[in-house]
Amino acid sequence: MSATNYEALAKKIVARALKRGARQAEAFLQVGRSADVRVRDGEIEDLTQATSKGVGVRVFVTNRLGFVWTSDFDPSSLDTIIDRAIALAQMSAPNPLNGLPDQDTLGKFPDVGALYDEEVASLPPDWKINASIEMEKVIKAFDPRITAMDSVGAGESVSEVYLASSAGVHGSYQGTSVYLYASPVASENGQLQTSYWYDAKRFFEDLASPESVAKKAAERAVRLLGAKKVKSQKCPIVLDPTMAAGFIASIAGAANGDAVFKRSSFLASKLGKQIAPEHVTITDDGLRKRGLATSPFDGEGVPTRRTPLVERGVLKAFLYDAFTARKAKTKSTGNASRGYRSLPSIGVNNLVLEPGTKTPEQIIKEIPNGFYVTAMLGHGANTVTGEYSRGANGLWIENGELTRPVQEVTVAGNLNDMLMQLDAIGNDLTFHGSTGASTIRFKELTVSGE
Amino acid sequence: MERGADFAEVYVERNEFTAVTLEEDKVKSAQNGLSQGVGVRVISGAKVGYAYSDDLDEEALFRAARTAAFIAHGGGSERSFQVTRTPLPTFYRLDDHLAAVEVALKRDLVVRANKAARAYDKRIKQVMCSWADSTKQVLVANTLGRLAEDTQDLCRLSTMVVAEGKKDERRTGSFGGGGRVSFKHFDTFTPELVAREAARQAIAGLGAADAEAGQQTVVLAPGWSGILLHEAVGHGLEADFIRKGTSLFTGKLGQKVASDLVTVIDDGTMANARGSLNVDDEGNAAQFKVLIERGELKGYMYDSLNAKLMGQQTTGSGRRESFKHLPMPRMTNTYLAPGEDTPEDILRSVDKGVYCANFGGGQVDITNGNFVFEVSEAYEIKKGKLGRPLKGVTLIGVGPEALKNVSKVGNDPKPDPGMGTCGKDGQSVPVGVGLPTLRIDNMTVGGTKVGGAR
Repeated sequence: MSATNYEALAKKIVARALKRGARQAEAFLQVGRSADVRVRDGEIEDLTQATSKGVGVRVFVTNRLGFVWTSDFDPSSLDTIIDRAIALAQMSAPNPLNGLPDQDTLGKFPDVGALYDEEVASLPPDWKINASIEMEKVIKAFDPRITAMDSVGAGESVSEVYLASSAGVHGSYQGTSVYLYASPVASENGQLQTSYWYDAKRFFEDLASPESVAKKAAERAVRLLGAKKVKSQKCPIVLDPTMAAGFIASIAGAANGDAVFKRSSFLASKLGKQIAPEHVTITDDGLRKRGLATSPFDGEGVPTRRTPLVERGVLKAFLYDAFTARKAKTKSTGNASRGYRSLPSIGVNNLVLEPGTKTPEQIIKEIPNGFYVTAMLGHGANTVTGEYSRGANGLWIENGELTRPVQEVTVAGNLNDMLMQLDAIGNDLTFHGSTGASTIRFKELTVSGE
Repeated sequence: MERGADFAEVYVERNEFTAVTLEEDKVKSAQNGLSQGVGVRVISGAKVGYAYSDDLDEEALFRAARTAAFIAHGGGSERSFQVTRTPLPTFYRLDDHLAAVEVALKRDLVVRANKAARAYDKRIKQVMCSWADSTKQVLVANTLGRLAEDTQDLCRLSTMVVAEGKKDERRTGSFGGGGRVSFKHFDTFTPELVAREAARQAIAGLGAADAEAGQQTVVLAPGWSGILLHEAVGHGLEADFIRKGTSLFTGKLGQKVASDLVTVIDDGTMANARGSLNVDDEGNAAQFKVLIERGELKGYMYDSLNAKLMGQQTTGSGRRESFKHLPMPRMTNTYLAPGEDTPEDILRSVDKGVYCANFGGGQVDITNGNFVFEVSEAYEIKKGKLGRPLKGVTLIGVGPEALKNVSKVGNDPKPDPGMGTCGKDGQSVPVGVGLPTLRIDNMTVGGTKVGGAR
């Protein structure tokens, strides 16, 4: 089916739902193809190719919500599920807050630039295989202590989104993504250590080289060999950019407007207040050029935008979809996130922690005794209570230098305190997926070990 | 097979989902979903080709087969294979498939749960309830002549609450359960029971003190704490990690990897349990497997590919999330065999420590064996008795070391209520866990308070 046909199909579904008794209706349709390869010992380990499609149909009968989704586009099957959506709506509770986005939040989609790279869409199959084999070679040559591979691979995908709704939204966009990943295992004296590294981009020319991904993965595994527990203590903690991205994502999770409205967020009462030092600025950027999470509109057709969450340390905004915005008497921020199998719910677009001025080396150099964290285990951050406790691996810092490897400890604190203790941000902004962060330092957290 | 592959397999799936969610005292949504498709797998030596599509027409099937066969480079010929239907046991017999149960009845369960949670205590300020079920039909056929079909129902009722105490203090509680059970299961495992337990946890946590960081003796409550076993050893015994040499249990068959008190079993044949399977996702029968017996490593969990490459037999552990995924070795229901101590004696034996009553989630690095798991309800133990509630407790350890430090095993085996989902390589599958009361010495407890021994 061609693009025009999918667009027409989405509109047809909406029209049918209205005819069957819906006051409002919306069809969110996704189509995609993807390919992924993993290699082992210079040969393909597995190669997966796929095509997929599906549509989610949201209907409002008066102000009751019904939702169905299917991957079966057979016309009679679609008619059946539309009827079922209406029946489900009749069973849900009436809620005056239900409905498609209000007209004043809709409008012209922003120009987000290109999201689709023809080069990625037409990559030959052996590109993935060759790139993966090259990564495997580089890793094996990096250090004799690399003894096994968990996985080494590459892949690409092309995806299309079509949205039609009775609120007058008609839109579509196409995007590509391409990625490399490697996860080697190093061993010495009976201890095994692993690490991973990857890069994912929308455009092929932006993608890191297989060699650089491989080296980074190998280096990160080897340097953990010999890791041991340390004594329990309070000390400065440095997160590398990848771990920092996870921390920033937890903060953005607490800025979810729905959690805030329900007072289920530690940030609920902090709007307009200083929650971090002045050098901390965190932005949800739906418009970032070539960003993996960039799109012209969100999961219900609201134009995307840049929303500063924390600006110079002050909590500036929460994130909303249409339903929650209505509940909180505010406006959608274009953060309705979804796939066709789910109802819209609040999510982030591209998330960016503004970089600072210090190099990562400077940040470490200023620490007489501390912990540089390069891997974490567990979910750890409770955005309701603000408690934070995660398993951590990395390198111990002594007199400003990275020294011995550390494992089997936890790093714990409270997100409120951690934000205030964030005393340094590096100039090494790194995007891993759609979240960008630099090396960051907390003045003092608790390490639990022996 | 015309490209000379050794093995080819077709996996066809149709999965119907129903979900009802309730929050802020209102049924937020009732939803229905249908996912169907086919996955074609071709194996040539150690190379695997996989293609899937949600189109089921003949042309799409042939296209998928050709794509999957890309990895084979030999000459073969197109031929047909005789398949015979594998007779299956039934470990989950339901009165009605869950997809056939009226949505209104499912809605009533979440409405009742909400009411019960709010009635429990006026400090309960937020209640979120959900119902989710699926009825999945699978068919697997392969060139070894195997043909198996199964219908796998699965459901779960859950409640999550937030309690507010003094000075803006918030505590969460959550509970739920289900499995491959009839809808009637909820006549006895009632929404009220689910809701009250979630509410109890949240209220019990109000006023909790900071946990002390460092090594302590811990006692795990029976049941859901089996997640420790799942993380600490289960994943490391999956054959793909063993074959690749990435698990710290590689090459340790027959060796002592845990205390004498520890016997670990993975059992895909438990009646109506969440992780049970009449047939795995490669068409092989699920099994009862002893993984560790009295501390000695007895066996790994195999899917057919890893079994073949390692010269072993499959243990019926080949599972996949859906037709969109390759099968790999996974756990089913993993539990620790009971010991001889009563739970009371175990608690009494601890002078100072932490009692872990309920758990959030866990994660393991199967290579270095580090695992963590988050304790959502914890109490201090003082002179053999439970003391104040503790907050922010995380346990961390290295799998085999933690199992060597198991010093008492209770006589009170208990399966979890049916709420576990395990993730590996981006694939989620339902699992069961179970554990009797357990005492582990020298466990590192993560907390924010550093004690005297600095």
